[in-house]
Amino acid sequence: MIEKAKSPIEESIVEPDLDALLAGDEKAFELLVNQESPRLFRIVFRIVGDEEEAKNILQETFLQAFQRIQTFRRESKFTTWLYAIGINLARGSLRKSKRMTSLDDSDVERLQPSFSKGMFVESPESWDPLRLAEQSDRHELLHRAIDNLPEDYKAIVILRDIEEHSTEEVAKMLDISGGAVRVRLHRARVALRAMLNPHFQYQRQTAE
Amino acid sequence: MKAVIIVKTLLGMAPNCKKVTSFLAEYVEGTLPEKVAKQFEQHIGMCKCCGPYFDQYRATINLIKEGQEVKIPDELVEHTMTFLRNNANFSR
Repeated sequence: MIEKAKSPIEESIVEPDLDALLAGDEKAFELLVNQESPRLFRIVFRIVGDEEEAKNILQETFLQAFQRIQTFRRESKFTTWLYAIGINLARGSLRKSKRMTSLDDSDVERLQPSFSKGMFVESPESWDPLRLAEQSDRHELLHRAIDNLPEDYKAIVILRDIEEHSTEEVAKMLDISGGAVRVRLHRARVALRAMLNPHFQYQRQTAE
Repeated sequence: MKAVIIVKTLLGMAPNCKKVTSFLAEYVEGTLPEKVAKQFEQHIGMCKCCGPYFDQYRATINLIKEGQEVKIPDELVEHTMTFLRNNANFSR
């Protein structure tokens, strides 16, 4: 069994000085930008896939945090609230740019396994460990597959599996329930497995 | 032992493939109750479909976690702070 993933975010975040932030203190904001920029940039960049756009979104995120700080209701960590702003801006940017044609919910459904009387309809073919190990561009393959996921599934994979935020944090960032995070993460992984499947199966030897 | 599990599965006394695949995420997280986790492992150990499927599910997660590194631009903090100084009315 794989060990339950610990969130490095939960372990390492020092909550910022909220009183100083509420007072509009430049030094407090500078500390916040210093501490949170790398983590937030990684998430935003993974969502939008463009460095310049990610930098612009980061600027706008901190400006909105400054302008809206009085609306922070202390129901979550401040950093969770801040990340929610950045993630919303990134998802909005992705929708506006229409850079890629992504799968929709019905495609994700189609990529789930089929069962008859509770048993697999088709036996999954084994993956070839050599193809899996030697596939030099497997990260590129996976990256493209994640990019193709519907936007909410993509955000959940990035936040949970790549950046390792907890389910509860992700639920707050995306304003959905923990159950919805768990279900969509599982469906996204299953869809990704199905997309990777043709690339990693044993190659059948063709008879001469 | 294997025959007992098969009979139990057919009689609905042990989880079938559909049920077992719905447990994958929780099993990987380590949040399945102990009794269910044991049933899960028994099924995975003997099922020709769920065994490879579980391996592939886990391999997919590992690949996702390996991910691609994101290079943080050197000037990122300064870039953001310059923008804030120009657009946010800091009180002090």
